[in-house]
Amino acid sequence: MTSRTPNTPPDPGGDPPRPRPDTTAAPAGNTPHHDPPPVEPPPRQTAREERSPRPWGTRRAPAVLAAALIAVGTGMLVFEAVWIGTGHPATAWWTRLTHELASRPVDDVWVLTGAAIAAALGLWLIVLALTPGLRPQLPLRVPTDGRGRMRAVLDRKGAALILRDAALRVPGVSAARVRVRRRRVTVRADVSFRDTADVKDELTDAVRREERGQLALARTPRLAVRVHRSPT
Amino acid sequence: MREHTTTNRVLLALLGLVLLGGGLLVLAGGADIYRRLRLTPPGGWPLTTPHNVLIPRADQIRWTVQDWWWLSAIAALTLLMLLALWWLLSQPRRRHSRRLSVGHAPRGTVTVNDHALRDALTTDLDTLPGVRRARARFLGPPTHPRARIGLVLNPGSTPRHVLEDLRDATDRARQSAGWDRLPTDVRLGVARHGPHRAE
Repeated sequence: MTSRTPNTPPDPGGDPPRPRPDTTAAPAGNTPHHDPPPVEPPPRQTAREERSPRPWGTRRAPAVLAAALIAVGTGMLVFEAVWIGTGHPATAWWTRLTHELASRPVDDVWVLTGAAIAAALGLWLIVLALTPGLRPQLPLRVPTDGRGRMRAVLDRKGAALILRDAALRVPGVSAARVRVRRRRVTVRADVSFRDTADVKDELTDAVRREERGQLALARTPRLAVRVHRSPT
Repeated sequence: MREHTTTNRVLLALLGLVLLGGGLLVLAGGADIYRRLRLTPPGGWPLTTPHNVLIPRADQIRWTVQDWWWLSAIAALTLLMLLALWWLLSQPRRRHSRRLSVGHAPRGTVTVNDHALRDALTTDLDTLPGVRRARARFLGPPTHPRARIGLVLNPGSTPRHVLEDLRDATDRARQSAGWDRLPTDVRLGVARHGPHRAE
């Protein structure tokens, strides 16, 4: 089913009223412009722009967790030290702990497990400390005017929504799913009419234009477009 | 309002190093690494053979019979606990308002309430075309504040359009407070909407 049927109405379950301005006027296949906003100027013509660096997260959650655990642990030890130091008998957990520490050899399976967990946790904490974090945020290009830097990020869900809207504006696309990762954008579209190859070309164009012009991402992710004939 | 990014990261890295070092030390002893690789650990190195225990009874007794040991242990642990408590209590965001000093005036003589400025900026941002919700905060020292802005965009508007307007809005806030510079962090999101595009 590759015949061109430019004016076939979309299937009822698909996509109700959506303006399709050019499908009647121009032959399908070379109708690239459907953007309702005026044709955007090419980037870095009107204003100077610069890329936002990747923001660094505060790492609040692991910090709270680590601080709370250290505070509780040292608190218990201080209590025990004062308790014993003032002449009371040691509590049961302290006796047990010192006994275990003094009796289990290093190749005991519990000691080895504990050491492996501690080492892995330590490595994880170092990674947390040295990496930026905030992976759901994509840095953007921002207009500069020299009055203090401005940084902007867009969350990946928002980028996916904007690109999906752009994809849906391409004639012939009845449904689109967009997945945005940090370096890769995947668009899956259902085509209800027109040649799938034409729609795919146009879709790639439209998404890439939206990405460059409207999304203003600091680094352009790779784009993968897949189209399927919708099953009707 | 300070954000403890550096503090958190340094302390997390330190804690990670301690955990990693301790864990590797025990693992090396338990797996008998030194004998297999024919390494000779330096004198006094702990846990060199798999038969070692973590803290031998002899050490426990030798330490605990001495008075200075208890005192110094209690002191060190208390210090560590207080440090951890300080770290914990410094995490929540500040909620009460404070005074930011207005530029071009002698230091501290003219101030502006940061919540008032924040509300003004938020109202300004809310009226920008394409913006559904705006939130603004001022961070940093009173003399060199920074702004943090969160925006939720309406369906159909895009970062490129909004960022230009936003630049003007933060510029107005900057000028009204008389600051030379106002570094700004912006986080954009898009309001959730169905696949039927709102035109």
